[in-house]
Amino acid sequence: MRKVFSYIGPYKWAALVAFMLMLVELAVELVQPLIMAKIIDEGVVAGNLHTVILWGSIMLGLGVLAFIAGISNGFFSGHAAQSFAYDLRVALFKKVQSYSMHSFLKVPTSSMITRITNDVTQVQNIFFMSLRFMMRAPLVVIGSLVMAFLVNAKLAIFLVIGIPFLLIFLWFMVRKGAKNFGKVQRRVDQVNRNIQENLQATRLIKAYMRGVYESTKFNQLAVALKTDTMKALRLMERIQPVLLIVMNGALLVILWLGAKEIQADRMPVGDLVAIFNYTMRITGNFSMFAMIITFFSRASASANRMNEILSMDEVQTVQENKEHSPYYVEARHITFKYDEEGKFILHDVSFAANRGDTIAVMGATGSGKSSLLQLLPRLYDATEGTIFVEGKDVKSYDPHDLRQKIGYVPQRSLLFTGTIFENITWGNEHATLEEVEHVCKIAQIHETIMRFPDGYETRVGQKGVNLSGGQKQRIAIARALIRQPELFIFDDSMSALDLTTEAKLWQALNEYEDATRFVVTQKIATAKSATCILLMDQGEVVAQGTHEELLENSALYREIVASQQEVNTNV
Amino acid sequence: MFKAFQYKPILTKEDIQSHQKKKRAKTSNMKGTIGRIWQLVDEQRILLLVVLAMVFLSSVGMLLGPLLIGRMIDEQILPKNLIGIGPTLILLAGIYIMVSITLFLQNYWMIGIAQQTVYRLRTQLFEKYQRLPISFFDRKQHGDLMSRMTNDLDNVSSTLNSTFIEVFSSALILTGTFTFMMILSPLLTIVTMIIIPMMFLATKWITRRTGPLFKKQQATLGALNGMVEETISGQYVVKAYSQEERMIRQFEENGQRLRRTGYWANVYSGGIPKVMNFLNNVSFAIVAGFGGYLAYKGHVTIGIVVIFVEYARQFTRPLNELANQFNNVLSAIAGAERIFEILDEPEEVEEGTKSLTKRLAGNITFDHVDFKYDPQKEPYILQNVNFNIHSGETVALVGATGAGKTTIMQLMARFYETTSGQIRIDNQPIEQISREDLRNQMAFVLQDPFLFEASILENIRYGRLNATDEEIIEACKQANAHAFIEQLEDGYHHVLKPEASDLSQGQKQLLSIARALIADPAILLLDEATSSIDTVTELHIQRALNHLMKGRTSVVIAHRLNTVKNADRIFVMEQGQLVEQGTPKELIEKQGIYYGMLQQGKAIE
Repeated sequence: MRKVFSYIGPYKWAALVAFMLMLVELAVELVQPLIMAKIIDEGVVAGNLHTVILWGSIMLGLGVLAFIAGISNGFFSGHAAQSFAYDLRVALFKKVQSYSMHSFLKVPTSSMITRITNDVTQVQNIFFMSLRFMMRAPLVVIGSLVMAFLVNAKLAIFLVIGIPFLLIFLWFMVRKGAKNFGKVQRRVDQVNRNIQENLQATRLIKAYMRGVYESTKFNQLAVALKTDTMKALRLMERIQPVLLIVMNGALLVILWLGAKEIQADRMPVGDLVAIFNYTMRITGNFSMFAMIITFFSRASASANRMNEILSMDEVQTVQENKEHSPYYVEARHITFKYDEEGKFILHDVSFAANRGDTIAVMGATGSGKSSLLQLLPRLYDATEGTIFVEGKDVKSYDPHDLRQKIGYVPQRSLLFTGTIFENITWGNEHATLEEVEHVCKIAQIHETIMRFPDGYETRVGQKGVNLSGGQKQRIAIARALIRQPELFIFDDSMSALDLTTEAKLWQALNEYEDATRFVVTQKIATAKSATCILLMDQGEVVAQGTHEELLENSALYREIVASQQEVNTNV
Repeated sequence: MFKAFQYKPILTKEDIQSHQKKKRAKTSNMKGTIGRIWQLVDEQRILLLVVLAMVFLSSVGMLLGPLLIGRMIDEQILPKNLIGIGPTLILLAGIYIMVSITLFLQNYWMIGIAQQTVYRLRTQLFEKYQRLPISFFDRKQHGDLMSRMTNDLDNVSSTLNSTFIEVFSSALILTGTFTFMMILSPLLTIVTMIIIPMMFLATKWITRRTGPLFKKQQATLGALNGMVEETISGQYVVKAYSQEERMIRQFEENGQRLRRTGYWANVYSGGIPKVMNFLNNVSFAIVAGFGGYLAYKGHVTIGIVVIFVEYARQFTRPLNELANQFNNVLSAIAGAERIFEILDEPEEVEEGTKSLTKRLAGNITFDHVDFKYDPQKEPYILQNVNFNIHSGETVALVGATGAGKTTIMQLMARFYETTSGQIRIDNQPIEQISREDLRNQMAFVLQDPFLFEASILENIRYGRLNATDEEIIEACKQANAHAFIEQLEDGYHHVLKPEASDLSQGQKQLLSIARALIADPAILLLDEATSSIDTVTELHIQRALNHLMKGRTSVVIAHRLNTVKNADRIFVMEQGQLVEQGTPKELIEKQGIYYGMLQQGKAIE
């Protein structure tokens, strides 16, 4: 919570000015009854028009002052609240961006989204409202109490006698409220998650006509959100009645005792009336007071959720390692698991590649091919063992510098909303149109793009929905090529290409003869031309060597070859 | 001052000074939005009336309390006659308890009404998402659609919680005060009313700005949500390309836009109470001055002026409150309009009326089918496609990527409507068949398999909701998924991570095949179902698939010619046209395009 509110820091002056302006307004408001009394007593009652006009103008003047203060307050508090929220959002987003994939997966994406948007809004709202008007309520309450004490301490003591009790009550409510609102925000996460999943699965849901089924599932979440929201809000609604009961009870006691005092001539009636008026002012502010407590609990729940993000350990550290490898890429005894409790995905994997080599990675589904290649750009760090790129331990690189060398084409070719041009230059912002066209020609996608009416300016929907699987894959490849990388990782990223196109693409890729390539593939045709084939099974490299060597040494490899030859014998 | 904080004004003249016509359209739209929310609130009319009764009681109690105390001071304390003070105090205690209880109850029930309304809107929105055509989702960012469900509904929710009670109790106090004032002095009442037009104008001036600003704010928040959702769900690409800095810059741009709209929305809407306060002071000065003058002239008594001044204050307070609430309502409308905008989207084209009582035989005919995504715009994705697929046949679609193979499948399932031409299934035009019945008889394995954040059992059961655990296990065995499932910690009860990130792409495909197996469809559509699966595993599944394809019509898209070779017939697609069709043997003998592909394939190997 403290961490979140530290982002107010840069705006403390704006906030302070706003606060002072609010005090000006409040002062005018407090002075007003006095002036009014003057106008009535000395002007209207005395029949003195001059006094009425004089004090009337003073009051109008003060009114103008309060008005100016109030309007200026808007600029300052608006600035403080919006900028605070902006800084907080950016800080959260930056933090999330700095996570390693490992910490990243700990918080579901939908929950991160809620925290960056919805939770920030909750905190921003209470901050703005406090500066704007909410802080007035406590000030009025305190001011009125002080005034009541000045009038008659003996009676006023009854107004504060209940306060310790009330404080305990409020403390309890804030804690309980924060807990309840925390639950509400978690429900919002769930709703968000469910919708996100539904949006990602639109085609599947439609294909199986599961709309009603999904609605029923969603309905449960919506009911839970409704119930929890109601519970949280209703709990907070207890504050105002309780405050009122206590205060009004005190008022009755004061009336009773006051009446006795007056009867005994120990006190003037005016005192009682004054205390009565102050009490009314206090109770009049209670609804605002209750609102503050509600907002505060809500904001503190949200602040805690943001803190979780802000205080999670993040970046992959850079660890110096003097060891060197004579190869361009080398893996020494790599083992890997995604999380501590999990199973090992890779066991004792070692291999080496020189500059310009092509390494084919083959093996059954789930044998650890993708996991292995994700270690090269340090998307994850190996649990044990060392990976060297350009002779240096990857852990001793700044991830940014390391990834700059690598053109990684993931298995699922994920594109972003924007034009095709934007998607390709995503790999390198400074690329020119000629460069983009050049890499698109290599990726065998230029002609296809030119056939679109808008060419490179064609809009791509989220995740590239309006493109075919093969088109997406080739754009993703172009996106990697434009970075002019030294090291390519193709994670089965040509699976949707027909053989002819793929062959042309490989041909064109020869332009990057200095680059080292890692290719996950199912196709023997691709593997044949590789410098070395890594054959994986259940997280281990069971054989490595050239096509010919593996044909000789590996039964598994022969099986794979056989599975693909059938087509030729049949034709 | 705003220049110092770098807030450029963002409202254009058109936003504010709309033409007479546009303005009318806008207000009627606003009325429409309020009306639609009201319909939902009104469903709980009885509870609403109870709330109103509670508001009435608490307002009366709050007025009665001071009145009784005043009388007590005048009649008992001042004359120092304390007889009877006890009963009055007890009565007061009763009133105060009543006030507390009714206050609690009105809020308690109002929260119920508000949340029920929000709940109804939320589920309506969700159900609407289920009925919208695929093409709608192609255009929208997920995060923006999610924002409507949470952030926009939040606006509606917070307004409903408070506004209704405030408006009613303000109106109540207003009427009461007005009546008293009229009884006291009609002349002074009219003088007090002078500020009402000013209040009205001021409110109008401000809300004409806050309205559009609130709308912009919600839209910007939606866009921000969209950007965050996309970046975060594509985080591994962001990381692999070390584009974090760029994403942060983009986020900052979006955030700045939100900050600016938020700033102006705050400034303007915060102005309302200030303006009202000022007008209050003006009204007070007028009443005091004019009243003093009248009293001086002897038209009214001083006592009336004194009381009147007090009433004038009481009168303007609820007016302030109403102006404030109007502003709140505008913020709710800004949220609600984004929800109604979706609710008003055209749904998937009219359901066919014909329901399928029998299992389909599975004859599929494409009759001069043309298709493009946007009817107004080129390019054609499919052009003049004609073919017949017979019951029980297995047809493979081959051709370069982007040739229109997936589109053909999507048209068969009516994900999209044909631009021209007709598709018939069992000789019935496809648009006449109820979409639900049609898809119930089809099963899909889609290009990019999706699995839910649920157990493996539940994910497979998605294909047929009443499948038993045994049937599911059997399907997984056939799909060659059993072995790896068994290795998972909780086996079939293993709950997948979001987007099944704990499975390999190939494993996802295996599960997706099992899901299709369990559905037992009349027509089976496999779109690159095995593209990420290694060829050895594929051989095993192929047996299961061949078994599965028996007795049903199957359409298969694949690049591996190995996958294709068992098909009864092969359709070759090229740039949206069907250029060749025939049995594998015929096509090889013909030495056409397919033959060429095979030769190339061989040459490459």
